[in-house]
Amino acid sequence: MLFSLDELERLLERGEALGASYAEVLYQRLDSEDIEVENKALRSYKSQSFSGLGVRVTCGGSLGYASTNRMTGEGMGRALESAVRGAGSTPRGEDEPLRKVDIIVADAMPPVKVDPLDVSPDEKVVLALDTNKAAFNDGKIKTARTKVRLMVDERFLVSTDGARVRVVTPLVGLSHASVAEAGGERESVLDSRGMCAGYEFFESQDWSDFATEVSDLAIEAVGSGTSPSGNLPVVVDRDMVGLVLHEALGHAVEGDTIASGESVLTGRLGTRIASDFVTIVDEGVVKGGHYAPYDDEGVEKGRTVLVEDGFLRGCLTDRRSAQRLCLDPTGNGRLQDYENSPLARQTNFYMEPGGHSLEELVEGIDFGLLVRGRGSRGGQVEIGMGTFTFGAGPSRIIRKGRVEELVRGAVITGSVLDVLKNVDAVGVDLKVATDAFRRCGKNGQQVTTGMGGPSIRVQRMTVGGG
Amino acid sequence: MEIARLAIEKATMLGATEAEAYVQSARTIRIAFDEEVRDIRTVESTGLGLRVALGKRTAMYSTSVLDEAEIYGAAEKAVKVAKVAPEDPDWAHMNKGYGKSSAEGYYDRATANLGCDEMLEGLGSAISILNERDRRAKPTRGYLSLMTSKVSLVNSHGEAVGGKETFATAWMMMKAKEAGLESTGSEYQLTRSFREIDLDSMAEKAVDKAVGFLGAKPVQTGEMPVILENRVAAGIMGWILSRPIRADVVQSGGSRLADRLGERITSEDIEIFDDGTMAGGVSTRPFDGEGHPTQRTPIVESGVLRGFLYDSYTALKDGVDSTGNATRVGFSYNRTRAYSSPPTLDPTNLVLVGGSASVDEVIRDTKHGLYVEQTIGEYMSDPISGNINATVTHGHVMEDGELGAPVKGVVLTGSYHEQLRDGFEAIANDTDFYVTLSGMGFYSPTVKLRRLTVAGV
Repeated sequence: MLFSLDELERLLERGEALGASYAEVLYQRLDSEDIEVENKALRSYKSQSFSGLGVRVTCGGSLGYASTNRMTGEGMGRALESAVRGAGSTPRGEDEPLRKVDIIVADAMPPVKVDPLDVSPDEKVVLALDTNKAAFNDGKIKTARTKVRLMVDERFLVSTDGARVRVVTPLVGLSHASVAEAGGERESVLDSRGMCAGYEFFESQDWSDFATEVSDLAIEAVGSGTSPSGNLPVVVDRDMVGLVLHEALGHAVEGDTIASGESVLTGRLGTRIASDFVTIVDEGVVKGGHYAPYDDEGVEKGRTVLVEDGFLRGCLTDRRSAQRLCLDPTGNGRLQDYENSPLARQTNFYMEPGGHSLEELVEGIDFGLLVRGRGSRGGQVEIGMGTFTFGAGPSRIIRKGRVEELVRGAVITGSVLDVLKNVDAVGVDLKVATDAFRRCGKNGQQVTTGMGGPSIRVQRMTVGGG
Repeated sequence: MEIARLAIEKATMLGATEAEAYVQSARTIRIAFDEEVRDIRTVESTGLGLRVALGKRTAMYSTSVLDEAEIYGAAEKAVKVAKVAPEDPDWAHMNKGYGKSSAEGYYDRATANLGCDEMLEGLGSAISILNERDRRAKPTRGYLSLMTSKVSLVNSHGEAVGGKETFATAWMMMKAKEAGLESTGSEYQLTRSFREIDLDSMAEKAVDKAVGFLGAKPVQTGEMPVILENRVAAGIMGWILSRPIRADVVQSGGSRLADRLGERITSEDIEIFDDGTMAGGVSTRPFDGEGHPTQRTPIVESGVLRGFLYDSYTALKDGVDSTGNATRVGFSYNRTRAYSSPPTLDPTNLVLVGGSASVDEVIRDTKHGLYVEQTIGEYMSDPISGNINATVTHGHVMEDGELGAPVKGVVLTGSYHEQLRDGFEAIANDTDFYVTLSGMGFYSPTVKLRRLTVAGV
């Protein structure tokens, strides 16, 4: 670290001397590497080291923020003054804008066997090249692109209240996309795997198999028809369900959008928003998920129950939205990097498993769609209109209780207020995962999250096809 | 320039046969508001992106710490990786043609000198409008942001170029509620100068839009004519066309337009071009991410495919000139932290033009169909398959030449390639932009597509 704790503490004292009733600094250092291979050749190898300080103060009931990466006493001092000046230019004279929290002193990091940044560059290039080469298993594969990403993100929060929270989050992953061509049509499938772990994660998986499977799916998809359009019963598989929950519910229970009244779930705490079978939680540390034992405001992220047996039981708060809502902070104050302010964000957002096998979920559907997550193109929600959408990976038609032919290009929409009420069966096959490439955007900030759940059956969803 | 030269000197000393340094310093002031100003943030950032080549092996390292030791460290790390990277047989050399184009309207001194007091003053009446214009609606999120960025670019071939740019952006989101109905209305503007943003008029539109969408609901599933408002049309067009017109995609076999130069690919009314010099465009700058002058590059003229976009790597491979499309992607539309990105090949301002009708005329000529004002998930429109994918959050039923009941929650799908071939029934004259998170600007007028699948209830 380029700063001593002592220096940070002195900076905070100066903030108080300038009139701040509370001050905190978040130091961050992010080291990362990105390796990209296309069509069996290295396309780029980029390494990055990014670091700096974010300052937050409260002053006259208002918040001020500033950040700098000029790592000098002068640079830090100027950031502090900007933050105080910003808060001072909009005095509100009310109560403190941030909810009081327990003071935590902690130093956290998940187990890492091999520091991903210590592994030699040529070993990583070979991993990306070998994976990429394995994807060319058929003449129909036109192009293939493989990316390897390794990051170590260190954050250290120090506040005038006494919080001293250091969290180091390693995140590694590999993404692969194959494009297949047949009969004048082209189709691409992109999939990725990642984990908050060291380089040992790469050694624990068979990446050639992974790339081959992606290519096989692209080849099958390019020869298949497009998805039917209309209102259909669907089974959402466990690779897809996390994104569906993230868009259909997760953003709408973020406390800042409830405090402002934007979310369609505003004022619905305690009411039924889902069927009896649905229990959904957000939890900071889950096997396979993102690593978030504490948030970027130094608040412990335990387990928050959002939906219990179909009833809305809570929301995800940062310190500011907690204050506006008169609730306890749930440890969901997260920011993209020290240049940004914390927002209420999800950590590992997932549904608790039920009792059904995938076969049982499919049984009894006369005509519908098995919506699969592998190769999904992402999703989005407009929480004020209550409309969400997601793009499925190549999926399968369900006909008379049987899983049949592949279809491509299914895009699905639903209503935040209705979709979970239509869940009529929940699978046993819980899976939670995180991703080094796909991040979640809000107010211009991108953060890594974890998501998941078991396969679920939904009575009706609006499916758009080709 | 000194940091850049230091980095190059060190890299060359360590054995790099070529080196290029991109140094960026940026300052952002951002005010967040809803019913009142919520907070103010100022961000100062600097960084160095160093690209090196050892013969035909290349690597890139970026850092936000600009002391001498870190700059030397950056050079060491970049050279270390380049030494073990496989040779790229197509690598010729870094760009030797630095320079500036006649681009205009990308820097505004007044905007660069503004402080948060002037910004707060400008916001005051807009926030009053948001709060008071209609009792059913209230503001829930918004920001006003100004950014100034200064770039210096130097390489070991003796080339050097530099410049400054400014961005002003504003966004506001309204929520309306009445009798159990809920809806939103938002407005977004991005300009290169603060005085071009009309905050009061944005506020009025956002309120009226929110209230106008109370009661929005899906329509029945079916095929129908669809009018895409300018920004929606620009987004879908951009996501699908920005990829197959890139020379790197053409060269790697990934473009379906690869062997169609000189062929008619769309109606002869349509022109498509990329223009990094366009006055005040969202991606206008005088030189690209590797110092090459920007330009206007024709892609489609009178419906005929005329060209692709090049950076120096792909241009040297094909024996042509770069079109100035090397892009430093950065971290948001205004490319903060562009220094951390290696140059990639992307459009600057990708523009589709072709119509002379007013939007009102296009609407009047439409007996039935769907009018789309805003979507989510349009980024899932797929450049490889050519499938249009977008979910409507704000639309209207078209009835006898007029906008009817508000619509939300329906999915648009269809083949963009088929639409491009002969599906554009009408093109209006009201060009506006769509900007991606990585800073590409897509421009299109409102277009009427003959037939799309609309999935609803």
